[in-house]
Amino acid sequence: MIAGIPLLPAILLDIIGSAANIVFAFLAWRYARSLSRRQPGNFVWGYLFYVTFAIAAFTISRAVGHLVKQFLLIAGQGAIWAEISPYSGGFNTLFMISVAAVMIFYHKGVQAYQALEHEAGKLKNANRDLAAVAAQLRDLNQTLEQKVEERTEELSQSEKKFRHLFSASKDMVFFSDADNRVVDMNDSGFEMLGYCREEDSVLQITDIFADPDDRDAFAARLSLDGYIKDLNVDLARRDGKVVSVLLSATAIIGEGGEILGSEVIAKDLTRVKTMMEQLAASEKMASVGQMAAGVAHEINTPLGIILGYTQLLMDDVQEGSDPYQSLQVIERQTKASRKIVADLLKFSRQSGSTREEIDLNDILADVVAVTEHTLGLSHIAVHRQFAEGLPRIDGDPEKLRQVFVNLVNNAHHAMLDQGGGELLLRTRSENGEAVVEIRDSGHGIPEKHLAKIFEPFFTTKPVGQGTGLGLSVSYGIIHEHGGTIGVESPVHDQQQGTLPGTLFRVRLPASGSGTRQIADRFGAQA
Amino acid sequence: MIPACLRILALTPLVTVMLFCQDAWALQTHGGIEGVVVHQVAHIQYLGALGYLLWDIRRSGFAGVGWLYLQRFCWLMMIWNGLAFIGHLAQMNLSEDAVSTEDGYLSALLLLPVSFGRWLYYVTALDHLVITPALFFLFLAMRSFSRAAVSEKMEDGR
Repeated sequence: MIAGIPLLPAILLDIIGSAANIVFAFLAWRYARSLSRRQPGNFVWGYLFYVTFAIAAFTISRAVGHLVKQFLLIAGQGAIWAEISPYSGGFNTLFMISVAAVMIFYHKGVQAYQALEHEAGKLKNANRDLAAVAAQLRDLNQTLEQKVEERTEELSQSEKKFRHLFSASKDMVFFSDADNRVVDMNDSGFEMLGYCREEDSVLQITDIFADPDDRDAFAARLSLDGYIKDLNVDLARRDGKVVSVLLSATAIIGEGGEILGSEVIAKDLTRVKTMMEQLAASEKMASVGQMAAGVAHEINTPLGIILGYTQLLMDDVQEGSDPYQSLQVIERQTKASRKIVADLLKFSRQSGSTREEIDLNDILADVVAVTEHTLGLSHIAVHRQFAEGLPRIDGDPEKLRQVFVNLVNNAHHAMLDQGGGELLLRTRSENGEAVVEIRDSGHGIPEKHLAKIFEPFFTTKPVGQGTGLGLSVSYGIIHEHGGTIGVESPVHDQQQGTLPGTLFRVRLPASGSGTRQIADRFGAQA
Repeated sequence: MIPACLRILALTPLVTVMLFCQDAWALQTHGGIEGVVVHQVAHIQYLGALGYLLWDIRRSGFAGVGWLYLQRFCWLMMIWNGLAFIGHLAQMNLSEDAVSTEDGYLSALLLLPVSFGRWLYYVTALDHLVITPALFFLFLAMRSFSRAAVSEKMEDGR
């Protein structure tokens, strides 16, 4: 019996252990493969996959070698194992080296890759940051462009708005520089002053003021206060006429406090002045009318008595004798006085009148029939433009006939001096009113007389040729009919422009309109 | 540098093994104990690679059970490499009459008296007590990583 330690446990452990090693190594590789497939981008799992693969190859080669060895030796085939053994050992060594190589080289490769990836990540982040900054810049740029566009559009709109305000204003607006030169003026300004925009000559503020005192006051107040509000001055037109304006101005102050120029707005007050004068005249006419009514009543009675007694005395005196002729003079003058009184009563609407529905075209036709012959003798051509369907009016035909005869006679007299002319009688309908226009081509009415022509006893005719009551009476009659009468001289025709002569425009409310309008207190409303 | 040294260590045995065949038309023959030397060097290289991996895992500060298992694999595998290295030396130094197989291979005996060399041979012959747990820990580590990845994906899915 040989005493010794049995090697059977080592043999059994080798067999069982080798089998277990194959199982564990294979399972580990399976899990690593599953990991790397599940997360292909994870380099750690990729590394572990290759490591476990190498370990599994090594373990299997070793374990298979051990198992083959054990089973061959158990089977008594030691010689076969002796032949295989070098190859088994060689492969075992080879795989062991492979495991070490994979562990180190692949790991370093992974590290290098991770380092590269890290750098690439930093670059990617930097690129992302750059892209974000670029996007922000682009957005900012776009926003800026959009804002610039919006601001430009707003400025354009604002400029357009103020340019329109400047150019379309009916008031004079102009800018001057430090040397008092007018650098820009709107069309209304040029029109008001009678200048032409295309002219090369530079307009000076000093040229505009009619009164040197006004010019000095303008300069002094602008320099002192920096602005001027509602300064009433007269401006000189190019043709020498004077335009009354209400002027407001603001000084343009530079950064150093110096005056660089001024902005001036001037409103034409000529029309307002005319209206004020007409208003005053109208008030005066109303007073005169009341006074005339009282005076006429008082005078009418004694005149009747004088006329009655004169005619009685004429019965007692022989015809043809000197006293008779004297009494005839008294009778004639008394009758003339009574006519004046009657006209005054008509002007003050104290005389009686009838009312009926009439056609103004018929009235005008009657007037032309009566006056055309006389006008023809004075070489005055009469033109009729009677509108069809002219609204009928309620009125006194006799009184209205008298009005139009008065107006035609005035036109006749206006054209006598120039040896003839043209008279236009036109009717039309406007806003439910009947409008009658009587236009002559005479010398016209001076501007200073326009506000006075409807005043009683105002006349430009020589003494003895007119009482100055014709237009006053006409005014009273038209007023009594609820209408208005106006005058325009010279005539502003929409198609032909400004024409010499005078135009009287009578507006009368249509019949049944119920609009017996308030009398035109301003008379000259065209 | 560790990688440079290990690279040399890795390449030298590989080339040697590729030229291992006795009948190969090589300029130099590789007989004798060259195979054992290469194998032993391979064990040292393997041990070094495991040490490097262990160092790198600990250096990287990877957390989790999987990495703990992997560290244990490294430790046990390093121990096994050392044990195998010693075992090969012990086997080389074991005399031919130390083991008796008269009653068959399964009844083989390590004959008495048990010297240090024989005792060392016997102990190192039980190396599966180390390498099998090492591979078991490798399996546990991979399974742990896989399960963690699955649960992470599920959480992402929610």
